[in-house]
Formats: sequence, C-alpha cells, structure tokens
Amino acid sequence: MKITGYRSELYLMKANRAVGDANLPDGVDLLPGSILYIETDANITGISLGFGGGSVKTLFQAIEGADPREVVGLWIKMNDWVHKAGNEGEANAALSAIDIALWDLKAKIAGEPLWKTLGARAGRVKAYASGLDYCLSDEELFAFYRRMAELGVDSGKLKVGLDLQADLRRLAIMREALSVASARPQLMIDSNEYWSPKQAVRYIRQIEEKFDLVWVEEPARRWDYDGLRLVSQQVAAAVATAENINSVADVYPLIANQAVDVLNVSALHSGVTGCRQIANMANTYGLPVSMMNCQANFMAQVAAALPNHNMMEVVDPGREHCLKFSSRIEDGYIVLGDAPGFGIEVDEAILAALQKNPPVGKGRFPFPRRDGAARYIVPPAPGEVPWRRGP
Amino acid sequence: MRITGVKTTLFRTTSEQRDRNAQGSAGTSPSHGCVIELGTDEGFVGVAICSVAVPAQLKQITDELLTGEDPRCVTGLWQRMVNASYRGGPRGFVKAAIAALDVALWDLKAKANQEPLWKTLGGARPKVNAYASGLDIQATDAALHDAMSAMAKKFGFRGGKLKVGLDPDADLRRLGIIRQALLANTAEPELMIDAGQYDSPKQAIRRVREIEKHVDLTWVEEPARRWDFLGLKRVSNSIRSAVCAGESLDAPGDFLPHFQCHALDVVQVDAASVGITGALQIADTAFGFELPVTLSRSPGNMHAHLGAVMPYCMSMAVVDPVLLGGVFTGDVRIEGGWAVAGDRPGNGLVIDQQALAKASGTDAAAGRVA
Repeated sequence: MKITGYRSELYLMKANRAVGDANLPDGVDLLPGSILYIETDANITGISLGFGGGSVKTLFQAIEGADPREVVGLWIKMNDWVHKAGNEGEANAALSAIDIALWDLKAKIAGEPLWKTLGARAGRVKAYASGLDYCLSDEELFAFYRRMAELGVDSGKLKVGLDLQADLRRLAIMREALSVASARPQLMIDSNEYWSPKQAVRYIRQIEEKFDLVWVEEPARRWDYDGLRLVSQQVAAAVATAENINSVADVYPLIANQAVDVLNVSALHSGVTGCRQIANMANTYGLPVSMMNCQANFMAQVAAALPNHNMMEVVDPGREHCLKFSSRIEDGYIVLGDAPGFGIEVDEAILAALQKNPPVGKGRFPFPRRDGAARYIVPPAPGEVPWRRGP
Repeated sequence: MRITGVKTTLFRTTSEQRDRNAQGSAGTSPSHGCVIELGTDEGFVGVAICSVAVPAQLKQITDELLTGEDPRCVTGLWQRMVNASYRGGPRGFVKAAIAALDVALWDLKAKANQEPLWKTLGGARPKVNAYASGLDIQATDAALHDAMSAMAKKFGFRGGKLKVGLDPDADLRRLGIIRQALLANTAEPELMIDAGQYDSPKQAIRRVREIEKHVDLTWVEEPARRWDFLGLKRVSNSIRSAVCAGESLDAPGDFLPHFQCHALDVVQVDAASVGITGALQIADTAFGFELPVTLSRSPGNMHAHLGAVMPYCMSMAVVDPVLLGGVFTGDVRIEGGWAVAGDRPGNGLVIDQQALAKASGTDAAAGRVA
C-alpha cells in the first residue's frame, strides 16, 4: 500500500460557548479548524484534526509513495528531514498532523480502532472536566461542572491567576458542582504561564490553605525548568506542564531537572509517535501523563494505550460541527467505540458550508499573552469578565 | 482473536560456540532453552524462544492473565503481566517468562496483520548496524582468528566485541586478532569489550585505560555491576570509550538512576529481559535523553525488527549469523554488516518440529508442559 496524495482543508468554527484563561479572560468563541486527509492507492484515507498548515507540502515529499503502515519509520524520516530548523513551529504542526493521519491509516488498514493497534486492552480513558472557564459567569461555571459531574466526571480544572478571591470562590463552586460525582472531587488549577515562579508559590500556597489541589498547571514558563522545579518544591500540588512544547527533546530538561510532576501531552507533541515517546520517557521516571483536550476527544484513542496516563481533559465547548464520531462520556470515562482508526468521519457538506460562509464571532489567534505576565497581576477590568460587573 | 493456551518445550542442542564470559569461563550453553508456542482460537501461533527454562512461570502467567485475551492488545497485556508481579517485581524467572510471552504476543499481532513484525511496530524495513559478538573467552587464538575472519568475510561485519577480564595480555592480543579480521571490511573497525560485571569500577578503569593505550574502543560493556550507576558513571568519567549497559536490568524503571546520573553512554536493551514492549519504552526514553541504543543478541537475530522503530538505534549484537542447532529458523539476514529483516509474517521465528522433538529428549522432556 502506498501514500498517493493529501488534501488539507482549513475552516473557521464558532463554538457553542466562549473559552478563556488568564491570558484571554474575556474569552473567544471563534476557533480555527483544519483537517488533513492522507490518501492511498487502496482507497483508504487517513484523517487528522487540527494544525495541518502550509508546511504539510514540504514534509509530504518525505512520505509520498511510502507504505503508511511504516508510520514510525516515517516519523523518524520527517524528524530528520527538518533537522536544521528543527521540529518546531509550522514544521512541528505539519509533522504532528501527518503522523496522526498515518496512524489513522494504519489502524484502518488493520480494521481496528487505534487504541487496539497501539496495544491497549480497552478503549476507555478517565476524564476530567476543564471549563476553559475564565470567561464564564459563576452560574455558567456551576452549570458546566454539574453537567460533567452528571456524566460521572469527578475531577475538574479551573482557570485561575488574576484574582485570588474570585478564584477561591469559583474553586468552591466547581467543587460543589462536582460533589454529585464524588465526595472528594479532584481539583486542579491552571494559570497558563501568567505568573513568575515566586508569584505562583505565594498564590498557590494561599489556595492550598483552603483546598487540596491535585495539580497546578503551567505555574511558570514552559521552558523554565528551574522555576517549575522551584514551584514543585514549595507547593503540595503536583506541577503539570508541557502542553506548549513540541517533542520529547523539549521534555528532556524538564524531566532531567525534576521540574515536572505531570506531563500534559497532545497531538501537537509530534503526533501519536511523539506522544508515545514522551509518555514512555515519563514512565521510566514514574511520572504520569495527561492528554489535552481536542475535538471529539479523538486523542483518547492514544491515551488509552499509554502506560502511565491518568486522566484526559474534556472541555466540550462544541467544536464538532463537521465531525461524526461515536465516542461518549460514561461513568466518568471517555468510552471509545470499535470504529476503525480514530473513529472520526467528516461531514463534507457541513465543512464546505463553513468554508463558504465563515461564521462570525470573537477570535484572537494565535492566542496572545496578557499584560503584566510574570511581573504584576492585572486583574480583570470591570465588565471584562461576567463575574466582575461593569461600573 | 483469543489466546487459548501455551505450549512450552524445553530443548538442548550442542553448539560449536558457547557463551562464556569472565563470570563463568566454563560457560553456559545458549542453546539450552525453551520454545514457547502461544495458541489462539484463530489458528495463529505466537512463537518465542526463551533462553532459560521457565515452563512453570510461562504456564501460570498464561493461564491467569492471558488466556481469553486478544493478543493484539499486547502493550496492555504486558502492563497487566508486570502489574501482576508488582510485589516481587518482574525479576528473575518471572521476568524471563513475561518477556518471552510479550515476544510471542507481538508475533501474534503481526501474524494477525499478515505482515512482518517490523511493519506492525510501524517501522520501515530495518537495516540495523550489526556487530559480531559472543566469542568464547576460551577459544584458542587460532580458533578466534578463524571464526572472526570467516564472520568478517561472509557477513561483512565492521565491528566486533570481545569478552574480557581474566588475562589483560591475552585480551589485548585477541582484540588485535579481531581488529585484523575486520580490517578486511573497514579501515576503522568498531571494537567493543564486555567485562560482564566482573570488575570493580576502579579495576575496570585500570583495565580499560591500559587497553586504550593501544586500541580505540567504541564501548566497554558492564564495567561495573548493573545496578551500580555511580560506579558506571565513574568509569565513564575516567575512560575515553563509552560505557554500555542495560541488558541485565529488569524493567524500564530500573534505568531511572542510570539516566538521571548519566551513567550510561550507550543504552543496551534486550527483549529477553523487558519484552519488546519494555524495550521500546526504554528506547524512547534514551531518544529523549539523546543516547544511542544498542540491541543485545537475540534468537534468530529477531531484534533487527525492533531497530526499525528506535530513532537512535546504534547497533545490534549477532552471535549466530546462521542459526546453530536447527531447532528454529529466523528471517533476518546479515549482509554487508547490516541486519535486514525479511517479509515473513510475525517475528520470523519458525520452529522445526522434528528437530525440536529430537532436541527435547530425555531429561529436557521431563520439564515439558503441554
């Protein structure tokens, strides 16, 4: 079987609700989408969601005519292909997207769901709720986590960082909402690199006087292994990080310097192959990994097969307009079906309609950083978020 | 597809070459082992060769943890087997049994796909840098010369490894013999020595420094005890050549101190210790740490399949370019110094049932478990 061609479709989608964090407290609801299709001479097409930008054309030369079942070998070839400038930025996005589509093909050729191709015993992944919720009112916050708790989800992650008193109040709201799923919900917070390490320590310690936190996410810059380690040594919660790095090469200083307790992994970590490399490296060190949120939770297929996966982020803001899928959340787990590959199909008519008439909304990508970051906290202005009323 | 049970057959064959190192110059035979045949309800049989005879462990683990399971779920099943041994850890006989069953499971997964193992793992056809190994520490100089020359001529090896440790003068002389033989293929032969955990770190430093006055070494294998990451690190800091170890460790987690302290310059993995699943985990970790990976000797040189998916695969050890004993055949050819796996479905190991019946006679047959 041979790879014969590819097609890349870009589109815009409007989520059912806005998502926001410390850097974008007012939130966005317009999100970029992309779908990469890799075609074969056997009429089987591999699909990848997100990130497949312009560099696919460059990297496709490295895989054209190859057998898609040799995906790890092709990953090595692509990684070597981009050697000089590195597996970073646009090249990384393209490499990731291609690798994902190739794994989709490999599983489809075997006629089995990807979790089985990767060797997992069951297509089942523990979920945690993540509202990306800085832009939600207290009422909307409660409603989101209660909806998740009613699906059995007993863990939640709150966006924090700009207003300690509000964050404390909203942590209590999240815990209350989750309490129907567990008497002791697991609570996490995420400040998206807004703090300096010592700001993080002060802020988190004050939260820890009132709440038991499972992890604090990105309490310092993604590459600052000294700062991340400092935070880890001074708070009780685990330090989670790595969502914004690209590969196992970037994980090296974090692990070697004991700067990370939980590794956030995603499709953008050099694809399925790269995710597995990072998980395996973390596993040697006895560290868990956690899969990031994504459309239709498709990366749960990969998470199910990682030896040290703890729980996967579920946001569910409504990003599946043109996607058909069969996974569902049940008893707190993402349950995957037996459909081949990632189990995702594209509704081409809806995709074409989105491209023809792009939705209108609030979008700001690439997502910017908020003023004051790592120096002084700039709290939400009156009216900037629903929970801080205007004058 | 469901696993129905395991058949194990102990065998013994006589071999020209015996595996003798500094620890036991009387030697153990590599061809005393156990054939594992993992059966399924779809007729596929997963094959592995275990170099130690552990029929009781193989049967117990299969009955309790594998029977009724789908062999395609192999990484999950490996984790299940390792977790079940949590208390004592996957050590000793239990380790050998889990590792062998993992090899048989991967064989089944590839056979179900009707493709060679390297492709099921996701690799492009492997071409793994092979070196000649496993030479008898007690072979005479003439025998060593003849064997190495034949290996170099026929298979194109550019690297060779000598078991050392008991006689420094002889070690140096015999390294010269190997080097001379390999000069037929390259102006710069890769020479390696294997101390087999016989020396203390300081003994190893003295020994290696003396050799390094005369010979450029690629690596020194196990120059201290396998768990002594401080000693291995110390040796590495004091010699020019790389320190290589890992084949005797029991689990990926056992490599943690070695990685953390940079005790290894070359990470050695062996599917007979950690299974294919564990070997791939360790190789990914090594890649993250920018360390090359080398593969140990393996039945039928089956390790060549694994090299295909290890981004930093440096080399693999070859003892028998063509198989001795005749109990099984493999599907890996050594040509021009490279190990190349073929297209036979699975790991390429095929049991010659007649030869096996002959080799499993008398006392060996007593341990047979049907």
